[in-house]
Amino acid sequence: MKPAILEMYDKRPRTLVRNTILFVLMAVILVWSWETMDYGGINENGAVVARNILDALIRPNEAWLFNFTATGTSIPLLMLETVAIGFLGTILGAILALPFAFLSARNIVGPVMSNVGNTIISIIRTFPIFILGLMFIRVTGPGPLAGVLTIGIASIGMISKLYVEIIEDIDKGILLALDATGATRFQKIRYGIIPQLTANFISTAIYRFEINVRNATILGLVGAGGIGFTLIAALGAYRWKDAAAALWGIIVVVLVIEIISTKIRSKLVSGE
Amino acid sequence: MNEKQKKRSTGDSESERLKRPRPVKAFLDRLAARNLAHRTTTLSNGATIVRPFSWSLTNSLIILVIFLFFWDMIVGAYFDKYDFMIFVRRIPNFLNILQKMWTEFDWSYFDFVVDPMVDTIQMALLGTAIGAVFSLPVAFLASANIVKSKIVSGVVKTILSFVRTFPTLVYAAILAFIFGYGTLIGVLATAIFTFGILTKMLFEVIETLDLSSFVAIEATGASKGKAFITSVIPQIMGSFLSFTLYSIEINIRSSAILGYVGAGGVGIMLDENMNWRRYGNIGVILVVLFVSVLIIENISRYLRKKLS
Amino acid sequence: MIQFSHVSKIYPNGTVALKDVTLEIQQGEFVAIIGLSGAGKSTLIKLINKMTDVTEGSLIVNKSDVRRLQGAELRRFRRRIGIVFQSFNLINRTSVINNVLAARVADMNFFSTLLGLYSRDDKLLALESLDNVGILEKAYSRADQLSGGQQQRVALARTLAQKPSIILADEPVASLDPITANQIMKDFKRINVDHNITVIANMHHVDMALKYANRVIGINKGEIVFDGPSSQVNEDLLKKIYGREITDEDIMFKKTLGE
Ligand SMILES: Nc1ncnc2c1ncn2[C@@H]1O[C@H](COP(=O)(O)OP(=O)(O)O)[C@@H](O)[C@H]1O
Ligand SMILES: [Mg+2]
Repeated sequence: MKPAILEMYDKRPRTLVRNTILFVLMAVILVWSWETMDYGGINENGAVVARNILDALIRPNEAWLFNFTATGTSIPLLMLETVAIGFLGTILGAILALPFAFLSARNIVGPVMSNVGNTIISIIRTFPIFILGLMFIRVTGPGPLAGVLTIGIASIGMISKLYVEIIEDIDKGILLALDATGATRFQKIRYGIIPQLTANFISTAIYRFEINVRNATILGLVGAGGIGFTLIAALGAYRWKDAAAALWGIIVVVLVIEIISTKIRSKLVSGE
Repeated sequence: MNEKQKKRSTGDSESERLKRPRPVKAFLDRLAARNLAHRTTTLSNGATIVRPFSWSLTNSLIILVIFLFFWDMIVGAYFDKYDFMIFVRRIPNFLNILQKMWTEFDWSYFDFVVDPMVDTIQMALLGTAIGAVFSLPVAFLASANIVKSKIVSGVVKTILSFVRTFPTLVYAAILAFIFGYGTLIGVLATAIFTFGILTKMLFEVIETLDLSSFVAIEATGASKGKAFITSVIPQIMGSFLSFTLYSIEINIRSSAILGYVGAGGVGIMLDENMNWRRYGNIGVILVVLFVSVLIIENISRYLRKKLS
Repeated sequence: MIQFSHVSKIYPNGTVALKDVTLEIQQGEFVAIIGLSGAGKSTLIKLINKMTDVTEGSLIVNKSDVRRLQGAELRRFRRRIGIVFQSFNLINRTSVINNVLAARVADMNFFSTLLGLYSRDDKLLALESLDNVGILEKAYSRADQLSGGQQQRVALARTLAQKPSIILADEPVASLDPITANQIMKDFKRINVDHNITVIANMHHVDMALKYANRVIGINKGEIVFDGPSSQVNEDLLKKIYGREITDEDIMFKKTLGE
């Protein structure tokens, strides 16, 4: 064996120790988490309930599921309201996110302002959706308008974070060229940046729209509209067939939205 | 000297910025790349053309009509029932709550928050880990370029779409009837949700992967399984870890509300304190939540940088 | 030894890629296969380690009847046959040495493969293979950060780590510049001579084929139209193999030849 080979062998990166430590650390965290788990007890009742729910999913309350009128419980109308909350909330969030994003993008306002902006975004993101919901209900009273406002504010965080990434990725050449012409900050944004950003921004909003419709399905839990109240009430009263009708409503609508949204988004982003 | 330092520090922040994990962006970029490939045609003379896509007037009109329809349905209907001035006069209610979170803020409540917050984090970590472990093998089954049968990958993808339709809270609400109240249902609900999104993100990556090395290793006489492990796993490991860490961040936020349906954690306290209008306590919980998320996000960012 | 007798290959879509091929290649030969694109060169190579199946005729490689091989037996058979591709086919995001070690997983148990636990012997063998192609010092670099020529050397080292009796190469230098291509071909030649490993290489460029191979096989539309020592190849033969005059495109060193 040539000495050069043995020398190279001795220079090999020692990852075994590091990997073992990482692995053990992870295992310890997970075992510790598992140890402290508690649950109400899986009893026979649980198995029966599970079967009842599955049965109900096969035979949901069809009177609700296919009721398209405003009289009585109509899953289609409730889902329409849910989508409306998600849609208007997304538009609100996508617009409100704009100033936050531009005031947090490092390449526009510099590192100090950017850190401040990012911290503000993080603070907004900390508010759980139900807290926002209950706060808005104190303004509008219970109903879907509270839901729209909640979804709007709740999506500012993620949308502006993604906006910031898009802004920070823009082609710097154009900004430099505008600098050379002595453009003001406003002009830099209007002519150098916006044209590059629109498609990506819309794509981001559509991505968040998918999430927002899912979130809108649970807002009913605190009285902020959508299908959530009907679902939780049915579950709480062990009315599985009614709950199953609501679940099917969610499944169908969310699936359709995901398909459409994926199509539009990939066309948008690559269309330039 | 001073200027030199300045230069170096901005250079660092620049490279820092580039290294920051961006799983969502990476995911969207991949989707876009796939679509671009789809719309690219190579002519017989070797030139390539890309069919353009433009955000047309028709699209804008469709969006506008949908917007007006929904607007009328919710905002229009609301102001038909209530006076606009009442709405305006009640706006301070919202700000009042915010203000009370600050003015009635009481650190002594902190001791009560620690345990539930630890529960919340544990639910998120354990749920993410379980979801992640299952997502890897299923992502392989869902990848059309690895499972040569379109039927298998199609069926798996369809099932995954169904799994992804419900938010974590809905899973927890249902599981509560089967397993009873407690953190376990939070873990399971988080695991199911994580499994759904992670698997999707992963198969998107695998489907755009260059499998030539897989072919080469199979040609050395290794079995398909071993060839996967040696050639495909290293290529997706970075994405897998980054997506998993990203899921932890999402899951900590979402498990904070799982207490509303009996899954334990900090959500129960949010519920109680909102009901009793103890906004100062809510403030304490939110600060703890903010700090916890901040710590987890930074650890996550650090780990990802270390691993890449 | 490799024996084709009356081998034909028809792809499922009806394309006849090879017609009635009969030839014998002895251990330690350096054979270049030349022909137009689409002539069937890659197919001939893929038949040898059963990356694609023989349709008619018989093919014996290292005393094994290739048509009968399957499952574990096929995998064992493949361990002694290395293959190098035009596009290198390395694992991205992975170190050079791990790329070479990937050739050892066929002999390892599943658990060690999963955890990437390679033995000391395997690591030394991998380093030795890298040394053999002159890039020992790159062992711990990432494979996708190397130049094209270096990447092809890693691929060659990977086949060496298999301890093969045959190395197949499908246009191994077609995507490299002339200088690098020449160096890689020298590596092939040295390995062929030093270790008595049979090398069968598809060559796009006539001059490279003639320079390094002892024997040239010319294929035209799936049929062998020439099989003999490189020294016998002349303009007329090339015209027969290519079905047209030789152009600049067929010669890698056109420009440098004039020096
Ligand atoms: N997998 C395949 N399925 C169908 N036809 C193929 C396949 N691979 C190659 N062919 C066809 O077989 C013929 C020979 O191909 P190939 O062996 O790749 O030629 P070469 O390597 O000399 O360019 C070509 O006509 C090619 O189109
Ligand atoms: Mg070929």
